[in-house]
Amino acid sequence: MSESQLRALFAQIAAGEPAGSRIDTQRAHRRGRARLRWRRACVAGGSLLAAAAVAALAVGVGPARPGPGPAAAGPAAPRQFSPLVPYASFGWLPAGVSLVSGGIRPTSSYMDAGPQGDPQWTLAVYARGQCHLTSSASGVNCPGAKLPISQRAPDVAGHRAFWYSPGLVWQYARGGWARLSIPAPNLSAVLHSKQGLAGQALKIARGVRYGVTTRLVFAARFSGLPSQWQIHNISYYERDGGLVRADQYMLTTGSSRFHPHVGDTGVWTDAPYIIVHPAPRKGTCSPHDPSSQNTSEIINGYRVVLKRTHIGGLPVQELCGAHADGLWFDIQVFGAHPSIDVTSLFRDHMRLLGTNPANWTSHPIG
Amino acid sequence: MVSRRRDAEYTEYVAARLPSLRRLAGVLCGDWGRADDLVQATLTTLYVHWGRVRTATHPDAYARAVLVREFTRERRSVWARRVSLSGQVSDCPAAAADHDAVLDLRAAVAGLPPRQRATLVLRYYCDLNVDQAAQILGCSPGTVKSQTARALEAVRRALGPAPDLSREARP
Repeated sequence: MSESQLRALFAQIAAGEPAGSRIDTQRAHRRGRARLRWRRACVAGGSLLAAAAVAALAVGVGPARPGPGPAAAGPAAPRQFSPLVPYASFGWLPAGVSLVSGGIRPTSSYMDAGPQGDPQWTLAVYARGQCHLTSSASGVNCPGAKLPISQRAPDVAGHRAFWYSPGLVWQYARGGWARLSIPAPNLSAVLHSKQGLAGQALKIARGVRYGVTTRLVFAARFSGLPSQWQIHNISYYERDGGLVRADQYMLTTGSSRFHPHVGDTGVWTDAPYIIVHPAPRKGTCSPHDPSSQNTSEIINGYRVVLKRTHIGGLPVQELCGAHADGLWFDIQVFGAHPSIDVTSLFRDHMRLLGTNPANWTSHPIG
Repeated sequence: MVSRRRDAEYTEYVAARLPSLRRLAGVLCGDWGRADDLVQATLTTLYVHWGRVRTATHPDAYARAVLVREFTRERRSVWARRVSLSGQVSDCPAAAADHDAVLDLRAAVAGLPPRQRATLVLRYYCDLNVDQAAQILGCSPGTVKSQTARALEAVRRALGPAPDLSREARP
């Protein structure tokens, strides 16, 4: 048996490609988009739990566990971030690059920036105690991301910083780390980039502002909910004119539970996942989706589609409206016995505020 | 709109590269049904990581790496272990030029562990050198060399000793 026989075999298999294919690029598209959504909405499943654990431990507990190596001087990073206000913002971005979107989690906050609305740079800022420099200083471990350190980077605002492939990770305050993922295939491409990606990354990192207040606005308001309901895991988008619109978020209550092994990245039960944004011209609710039982009805004067399906053994209710006073919305609730079902949440507690940003609110509950 | 532009680029890229990705999947899996599933999973992953794909120096290499890793990962999963029929030859119609030796070779390659098979495919179908194959498989060049050697040895063993035609020709 020779290499040429192997080559001939492989060529023959490739040549035998049948004409019919069951590859469905639209399905890949939809699944990819859903996975992105879950990633953003659920990646902090662990974070919420961790936040709860941190909150429980915080009672009467002293300073954060010191990591190996010299600790950063100055004020400590917060243990948790406000659920409604982005903790950090970009202070400098390369020409033509602007904030595209971001997300707020209890113990992390991320922002995507890129040219013409195309996300390329991602900044993630972690609360105190979430990331740790390994004892051998070979990596920084953050929730959902183990960053193997390639080499030391110039300090960022007086704090230690390291290059990983392909990004920059630095300590922004005592116990708190931030990382910037750089649009390049690997660190070598960053360090040898003709566009000066390494310099840009350092400049972005040095320009990050912490503890600033960016006002988010919501195109829907909830009222009449019991007081323990809160908004979590917001994903937001910057619109023209600098308005930052919260498009996706979750409502959680005391009985909300995270199921890490359901779906691609886990789901929360008894926690409505909500998406509201201006309706795309050809937006639909996929009313004939064969994977679910669908009914179309009118609620509060809006034509909506109610879907029932299962994911990982969990029942899922979904209520979608494609053209509701110019808005597109979707509510999903996982679990067999939710405290509130999608229909009553929408009918009795949720008010859509139209497409005029002047009518949107910064106080979505109340 | 962000997603519209992203989707348009992705769709254009996938439309252009789908045939080559499918052929590579077919050679890896040796089974076109499973190849389609593999490509389907790969396309989803490419969508999720589209920002990275489009800025990669070699997007095609990135896509190939996603597909190969999906293949080796899938073959490690419980589901694959349960349904995979090791050594099963492709169910696509045999080409006219097929003969016993080719079928034996095909079965021998199909019986290789996924990483060894992927190594052979990257070296002898994609014509990648050791370093390039190592990058895609996420291992060292030395591992690629040893996997290649082991794979070739396993195939040779499976095929058995070559018949000694000169002896058969004797009366």
